[in-house]
Amino acid sequence: MSGNLHQAGVRFLRQLGRHAETIMDAYLAGAVGDDALEPGVQERLVKDGVLYRPEPGADLHLRRVVRALLEEALRDDRNRQIDANTGTTLATFKTLAAHYKEARHQGDFAAADAYLADLREHVYSFCEGLGHSVRVLWGRINNEFGYVGSLGAKIRENELAQAQVSELLAGLELIDFSELAETAGELRELRRLLVTRLQRQVSGCCQELGVVQGRLLELLGRFRKIQGRTRLLRGWLLHAEQQPDYRPGSHTARPEMPQLLNLAEALIAPAAANLHDSGQEAELLALAAQIRAQREERPATAPAEAGELTLGAVESFEVQPSPIQLAVQEYLCAVIESGRPVSALTWWRERELPWDPETWLYQVIGGYEALPDEQRACFQLDPDGEPHPVFSGNFIVQDLSLWLA
Amino acid sequence: MLSNKGKVIERLLQGAFICRTSDEEGWRFLKNPANREQVDDYLATLNRSVATVGAGSEAEVFYCAYRQLGEAERRVVAQQFRDVCNALTPLVEWLLLVQQAGAQDAPLTEGSPIRLNELQSIVEDTPAFREQLARISHYRLFGSTSASVDAQIKQVFKRLCELGYLLRPNPEKQIYLGTGKLDYLYEVIRFIDEAEGLSLEERAELASQGSLL
Repeated sequence: MSGNLHQAGVRFLRQLGRHAETIMDAYLAGAVGDDALEPGVQERLVKDGVLYRPEPGADLHLRRVVRALLEEALRDDRNRQIDANTGTTLATFKTLAAHYKEARHQGDFAAADAYLADLREHVYSFCEGLGHSVRVLWGRINNEFGYVGSLGAKIRENELAQAQVSELLAGLELIDFSELAETAGELRELRRLLVTRLQRQVSGCCQELGVVQGRLLELLGRFRKIQGRTRLLRGWLLHAEQQPDYRPGSHTARPEMPQLLNLAEALIAPAAANLHDSGQEAELLALAAQIRAQREERPATAPAEAGELTLGAVESFEVQPSPIQLAVQEYLCAVIESGRPVSALTWWRERELPWDPETWLYQVIGGYEALPDEQRACFQLDPDGEPHPVFSGNFIVQDLSLWLA
Repeated sequence: MLSNKGKVIERLLQGAFICRTSDEEGWRFLKNPANREQVDDYLATLNRSVATVGAGSEAEVFYCAYRQLGEAERRVVAQQFRDVCNALTPLVEWLLLVQQAGAQDAPLTEGSPIRLNELQSIVEDTPAFREQLARISHYRLFGSTSASVDAQIKQVFKRLCELGYLLRPNPEKQIYLGTGKLDYLYEVIRFIDEAEGLSLEERAELASQGSLL
């Protein structure tokens, strides 16, 4: 019998190995399509209970046990299944213990051994299951529910985990060791299994679950704090939009001002190096060296920018009039005073001016032209002369006569 | 050279917020209650004490507070509170912008990193964020007058570093870290919320439900 079972098991595992690719595809994708598999392979896998069709027309899914095996082996975070069904397990323990006791009582030691082995297997797997559950919870805590993205999802996952912990703890409370001890009676093997081993495992687990619960609550608190901060920010913004000129009251004036707002003024200004402390010599030297370096660098740096160009009033200065100009002015004044036309050369002769007559005439013309318009309009300057005897169009000025217009 | 205690006292008197990110050594020093008491005793001469954000063992950020509040101290404190309040809206908008642009659940807190380049490219690619950034950067707190995203975001980050909300551990890299002063900011908002009965969280909750409907 056991030989057959062994062979069948080996065949099954080989089957799994042969279709490893397909099974992993199904594990990762959740399902595998009909056309992805050859009909023969598909049929065999379905018959062996590796794949199954949840409803007609659906894709083939991986069976729960195979999935659990893989999750366990791969330490996959997505494995969030926790078996908290302690009641049934306890009932199984008691039933098997009763079978064992009866078989021993009847002297059927072969059957008793088989029952004991069976019971041992159940106890061990129960203990392992407990250890696994705790491990899964720790795994989730340690990566802070990193397998879900949003904070809301993390909070939900955390709540799920907390529910599972309480369920596990409630399940463990179901175990009544005095009852188990009674069931075991005087039988050493049974006592070892049901009392000693189970008790050690359960008490360890309970302790650990207590810690897990604490950590879960702490994490939840942190998640909620973060969520609260986001809400706070959004709320503030909404508030600022609704009441743009809102100003918080003067909380600092209250007698019992909250510690939070108590911010002392910055007091300290940087200190300077002590010139008289030989211990700081090195620093001072370094500072001095820096100064020199800067001075040397200065010409090399960008040339000083040109000073700003400002347009201001030009400083006034007096032009010293030349004597000939003064003489012309005198002449003009004389014309004004006398009110009669006076010829330039007549004046020149009368005053016995030292300049050449031609220069004098030019200067009179220049003086007249240089007068401002309105003054010039008061005078009339007429040249006296005759046309050139040979070259027509040329007029030779011999004298100028100036009078009031 | 200054001892650890001396450094911590100096930083506190400079008005700095000591947190794990900004000054890990000092933070560790102050985490020890005996050390904190020593610093406190020293500061008592200057009418100051070590204050914390959060209470008891949860205290993660340390700063300097007045021991006794006279007239002058109250004036200083009131001025600082006004400054913080004036800065609140721009800072909150900026925090939300960073959070939204990064598609994160959690707002920026002490120690969380921001990569300026990534943030900038996201903001540049999204018109809504660009508008938001322009509005934020033109607040007086940040004081940018530029029209380009690049200049705006750089100015905002520069100001935040100056104000002590951000830290740039490596001046050659565009990676910034949030400091404990951000946690202080959250506490101030929470305080205002509670003291004035604004029920900000409920309001945000209602608004998000409203937008879902």
